[in-house]
This record gives sequence, C-alpha cells and structure tokens, in this order.
Amino acid sequence: MNNKQLENLFARMDDSVDKEARQRSVAAALQTFDAVQEEKKNTPASQGIVAAHRLTPEQPSIGRRIMQLITATNSARGWLYGAMASAAVLVLGVFIALQIPTQSGLVSENATPDGSNVQSHYSMPARESLALADSSKVAAQASHGSSSLGFHAFSLPEETGPRSSFHASGRDKFDTVDANPVKRVSAEPVSTFSIDVDTASYSFVRRQLNAGFLPQKAAVRLEELVNYFPYDYPLPKDRSQPFSTNVTVLDSPWKAGNKLVHIGIQGYELQGARPRANIVFLLDVSGSMDSPDKLPLVKQSMRLLLDRLHAEDSVAIVVYAGAAGTVLEPTPVKDKQKILAALNRLQAGGSTAGAAGIQLAYQLAESQFIANGVNRIVLATDGDFNVGIGDIEELKGFVERKRQSGVFLSVLGFGQGNYQDALMQALAQNGNGVAAYIDTLGEAQKVLVEEAGSALFPIAKDVKIQVEFNPAAVSEYRLLGYETRLLAEEDFNNDAVDAGDIGAGHSVTAIYEITPVGSDSAVFGGSRYGEKLPSREKSDEYGYLKLRYKLPNEDGSRLISQPIGTQSQSTPEVLREARFATAVAGFAQLLSGNKYVGNWHYTDALKLAQSNRGDDAFGYRAEFIQLIRKAEVANAM
Amino acid sequence: MTQQLAETIRRAQCGDRDAFSCLVEQHYAAMFSFACRYLGDRQDAEDVTQQACIKLARSIGQFRFESAFSTWLYRLVINCARDWHSSQRPGQHGELDDVPTSDNCEATVLLRQVIGMVERMGEGFRDSLVLVLGEGLSHAEAAAILQVKESTVSWRLHEIRKRLSAQVQPGVDV
Repeated sequence: MNNKQLENLFARMDDSVDKEARQRSVAAALQTFDAVQEEKKNTPASQGIVAAHRLTPEQPSIGRRIMQLITATNSARGWLYGAMASAAVLVLGVFIALQIPTQSGLVSENATPDGSNVQSHYSMPARESLALADSSKVAAQASHGSSSLGFHAFSLPEETGPRSSFHASGRDKFDTVDANPVKRVSAEPVSTFSIDVDTASYSFVRRQLNAGFLPQKAAVRLEELVNYFPYDYPLPKDRSQPFSTNVTVLDSPWKAGNKLVHIGIQGYELQGARPRANIVFLLDVSGSMDSPDKLPLVKQSMRLLLDRLHAEDSVAIVVYAGAAGTVLEPTPVKDKQKILAALNRLQAGGSTAGAAGIQLAYQLAESQFIANGVNRIVLATDGDFNVGIGDIEELKGFVERKRQSGVFLSVLGFGQGNYQDALMQALAQNGNGVAAYIDTLGEAQKVLVEEAGSALFPIAKDVKIQVEFNPAAVSEYRLLGYETRLLAEEDFNNDAVDAGDIGAGHSVTAIYEITPVGSDSAVFGGSRYGEKLPSREKSDEYGYLKLRYKLPNEDGSRLISQPIGTQSQSTPEVLREARFATAVAGFAQLLSGNKYVGNWHYTDALKLAQSNRGDDAFGYRAEFIQLIRKAEVANAM
Repeated sequence: MTQQLAETIRRAQCGDRDAFSCLVEQHYAAMFSFACRYLGDRQDAEDVTQQACIKLARSIGQFRFESAFSTWLYRLVINCARDWHSSQRPGQHGELDDVPTSDNCEATVLLRQVIGMVERMGEGFRDSLVLVLGEGLSHAEAAAILQVKESTVSWRLHEIRKRLSAQVQPGVDV
C-alpha cells in the first residue's frame, strides 16, 4: 500500500459535520466554559495551589474516592483500611522479592552447540496474542462486510509485535545430561567418544555469571568450557599427520590418589605462502540483531575469523543499521587489539539500511584491492535487509558486477525470527560466495575457516578418540564431559559414523580421571570373590590411546595410536596447559554440581588457573579467572 | 495566525462567552474531521470531539501563543483520543454491528484495519500517519505537533509504508 492509496483512504473517510453533534458539543463546551468562569470569579485573587484551578478528571478519581472513604468517616475505620493496605503492600513486596532472582536468573543465551539442546522461545506474549485476536476480529468484520456488500474478503496478517520483544525470555531449555559415571576397568575397559569443538556453553555460562547468577546446571557442558581456550600444545611436525596428540598425566587436584589423563590434540597450522587477504566485515547492527544468538555470535565469529588471518592481511568493519557507517578503516591484522576493540564496541539498535552498507563495503574493499589475494566481503545479518533497497534485483545485479571486479561476497546468516534465506542465498551466489547459517560457534568455525581465504580449510573430519585402559594399572576411570558425544565401542572403526571436525590450528582437550591400581581412592569396593589377578604385563602403561580421523577430501579413516605411559614425559608448557585445562574442568564440575570433586572449591580453581595462566595473548584466561571470582560471589549468595 | 483569530482567543481567555462560542464553532469541523481520520469511526469521533471541546473550555487559558492555534488543537484532540481509548473497555468496540452501513463501508473498514495495524507498531506511529497522510501536513508540521524531531516522523512513515506494503496483499481493491 503506497502513500497515494493511504491518502485516498483517508480522503474517503466521511467527515461531514453533523449539525446536531456540533450543537451538542458547543453547548457542552459553553457550559464548561461558564463553570470555569464562575470558579474564576469566586476565587479571584488566588495565585497559589487551588484545587479548583487544576485540571481534574470529569469524575473524582478512584484514588480520591478511596481517600474520602477513609477520611470522611470515623477514624477507626480509617485505621482499619490503613492496616489492610499496609498488609497488602507487604505481601506484594515479599512476592516480588521472591520472584526477581528466579526470573532474571533464567534470562539466557540461545547460542547452542548443536541446536538440538536448546530451544529458545521468542516472547511475544500477551501482546501478540491480543494483536492476533484483534486482527481476527477485524478480519471477521471485513468478511461480514463482504457478504453483504460483495467486496473482496481479505485478512491482514498480524503485526509481529514491536522490535523490543525480540528477547529470549528465559525459557531456554537444556537437556539434562547426567555426568559420566565412574567405570570399572575390569567391566568396561574401552571408552570411545567424538571430539567436540563447540564452545557455546562457555558463552552461556559467562553471560550468566556476568549477570551475577550461577548458570543452570544443565547448561554447563564441561568439554565446551575446556575447549573454549586455545592451548599451547606443540604443533604437528609434518603435514602427513594433521595433528599432534599430547598425553599428560597429573595428580588429580580434587581427589588424592587419583590421576588425570589429559589428551590434547593440536591441529596443524597452515603454513607456506598464502595469498594475502583483504576482508571487509559488513555487519548488521540493527535492532533485530539485539539477541544473544545474533550480534554476540557475530562478534565471536569475527574474532574466530580474525585468528585465522595473517598479520599482513587487512580487515575493515562496516556496520549498517539506520545508516551505514565505517567502524574501522582498513587495518592490518597485526593491530589485532584495535580490531577487537572496534568489534567489542558494536551494539545493536535502529532499523536496517543494508543496501547502503553493501555499497560502502565494496568501496572499502576496492580501495585496498590486492591483485593476487583474497578480496572478500563477509556480510553478517539476521535477514533484515530492506531499508533503502528500491529493488532486490538491482541489488543482486550490483553484487554480480562487483564480483567481476574481483571482490567476492559471503553471507553469514544469524539468529532466527526473520532470516531471509532466499535473499541471502541469492546475494551470495551472485557474489561468488557461500550463504551460511550460523547458529553456533562450531558452525562459525567451519564456515569461516573454509571461507575466509582460499587456503584456509578444515584439516580433519570425523575425529574419534578411543582409550583402552590397562586393568593392570588402572582400576577405575571417568571421562570428564563429552556426555553428549559418547560413541559405542564398535563405532570407532566404522567410518560411516559421523563425528566432530577439527579446523586448522584448532586444539581439543579431553580429560580422564583414573584411579591407579592399589590406590585407596577407588569408589568401588573390592570384590570378595576376586577377579583373576590381572597380568602384570605392561603395567607401566595406563592405557592405549587411539585416534581416528579422515582427511577432508577422503572417505577412509586413518589411525593414530600411542600408549599412555605411567611416567609421562611432558614439557613444562604442556604441563601448564594441562593444569589450566584441569582448572577449567574443575570449575565446570563445581558449576554443574558434580559429585566427584569433593571438598575442592572455587578458591582452589582460582589458584590453579592463576598459576597456570601462561601467555594468554588474548586475555581469555584472565577473563576466566574473573568468572571464577564471580561464581564464588554468586554461589555465596 | 491571523490577527482576528488571536484577538478572539484573547477575548475568550478573558472570559468572553461569545468569543469562545465563535472559536468552537469555527474549529469544530477541523477537529471533527481529524478525529474521524484518527479513530476511523464517526460515532467515536463525535464523542472525542465533544470531549475536546469541553477540554478546550477548561484549558483555553493555558494557550500561550507559543505555537499555532491549530497545532495546539491537534495536540488537544490527540490527547482526548488517547484518554478516550484508554477509557474504553476492551470488547466494547469493534462488534459486528458496528460496521457502518453507508456506501463508504469498505474504505472505512480498511482504514480501521490500517489504523489498528499502525497503532500496534508502537507509540506515535498512528499520530504521524494521520497527521501527514490524513491531514496533509508536512513532516515538520507533524513533528511540531507531536513534539518530536522531524526525522522521527519521516522514519515512522517510512516504517509504516514498509510494513504495510509487506502486509497488504496485492490486488486488494482500495
């Protein structure tokens, strides 16, 4: 409906004045006028606060009537009403005080590792249902009219409510997964699981703790917290084996006598000549992006992408909301702090002027054009791309022409609610890029590592880990985390079974807690009738680690294997990283109310994390230490 | 503002009954017409205009000649319409028997639908729409009445157009 039609509509409204109605109004107005003048005469000189001079409602308000009820009659009644009112306020106050922590404690992030664990419900509660009821009523009117007068019956879809209601309203659901139990090596010596590079749980936990609340226990996934941090494991020596495996054995900090077996996998870092990259982030910061699984995830994704770029690559940031603007002029990636700072400053708000943003982004990309390099615009949006576009075809044509100039466009979709998949696909195809939908950081990793530059790629897929424990050396074991990633023993050798992927430079950590034979820290009691004595062979090995992976373009899997020795020979660096991972794992167990950590407490986690911070180039670990402190405070409350 | 109008207002403010009567008579049509477009219903518009006239009698003394009298009147009618809206119990309005039987029926129904949708977009959208498209005011004039920035009015209208064009099916006979 355009302006003309609307104007026409207004013009057709019958506004001829009814004489009688006018008479009535004028009479009523004059009556009031007279009354006002009369009041003026009666209180001629008063300039102060006089009730009669104030504009009052036609009838005394309810409040005033209540006050009159109390004051006009005897005072005993007044006391009674007063007491009742006080009691009512007290009850209400207590009620509110009880509600506040639970409600705000549930406001939570939607980002999920694999989508299935969390369902968020966008709240357009009573308001929308009212709107719905209303519009159906109007539609009913319309169809009533049509039956008698014979014009088109039409129904207007209801408004989806104002932008402000695009917030997750604390109804995030997490499947509760019981922590892995302790297992007897004699009963079940083999443990198999898939690696997991998701980190969404950490963001969720961080968000909750920063808000001053402990997160829901089910939201804490240990492996995602541990894998959030980059670990300084040694890089694989050559390209034939895409990652190095580092096994470290430590004493368990939370249970004397137990040991922790760390398995650290470090993906191979891309090396050699790689074309320089000139990348312009075009980010949607309109009001609808103001949702945990949108702008914050965009920022994380961009950070991830940033880590994959070289120091001499150039990055610029253009945002669009009500208007398009350059947030960051093309900046070499070696000034990472500057880029990160610019990213962190972004906030969502306003409407969406995507077309202007795209033009600006192309301008910047062309100004820094690298002849033999990667020139790409990475557009991140939730689909609102409509202000300022006269014609979608025109925009697509624009993108296509620019592609021929050597600047490509990749589109990353975020969030849910108004994602315009078709438009995004069309833009990306015309821009020689890929339209990807990013719901988790794992997805961002996959997409950005593959897409950012032509030389960036995942180095292995379907990575599975299997550990066989030696009954001669280990009596019990427990896998920390990875509850949702467990595999059956036989799946390990079955190449058809899907598992997690690993990207260039990525590190993955898994931790087992074991009870060596002879230690008194076992949770299972001894068996009276005894099992046959395990053979004493190879008692210097706790177990045997096997790792299966496929190269990205292969369908057959390859195997890496190595024993886990009781006397581990780790470098101080790897030891430090393993200790930090232990601190994170311990923290995760505390948050999730795990029963295996005993008297270990947040202060112990804090000490352990602080003493093993390492270089911490990006401040992730410093942030983690703050989180422990916050958890301690929230826990005490 | 003409000299004559200013004189009439001054006299009314001093308590001149005839001047006030004349003022109301003169502006009734404009107020009613605006109320019609604002509410999309003649009956309601008559009620609101009457309230506005009564309010005018009470508050004519507060007009300080800082803005145009018409601007001030628009504000008065909008306030009355809002008060009137909030005083209406839900369900009291919009029954089937409320459909007017004049030959203008379909335009009225459609207008009411549009107003309803625009109303749900947020505060101020309906006011901007009726003032600019219904009354033919410029964005600046509407902004002065609503006491917001001109760009706000422009943005609201843009938003309204955008959403309406997305929502009204093509082929609807207007």
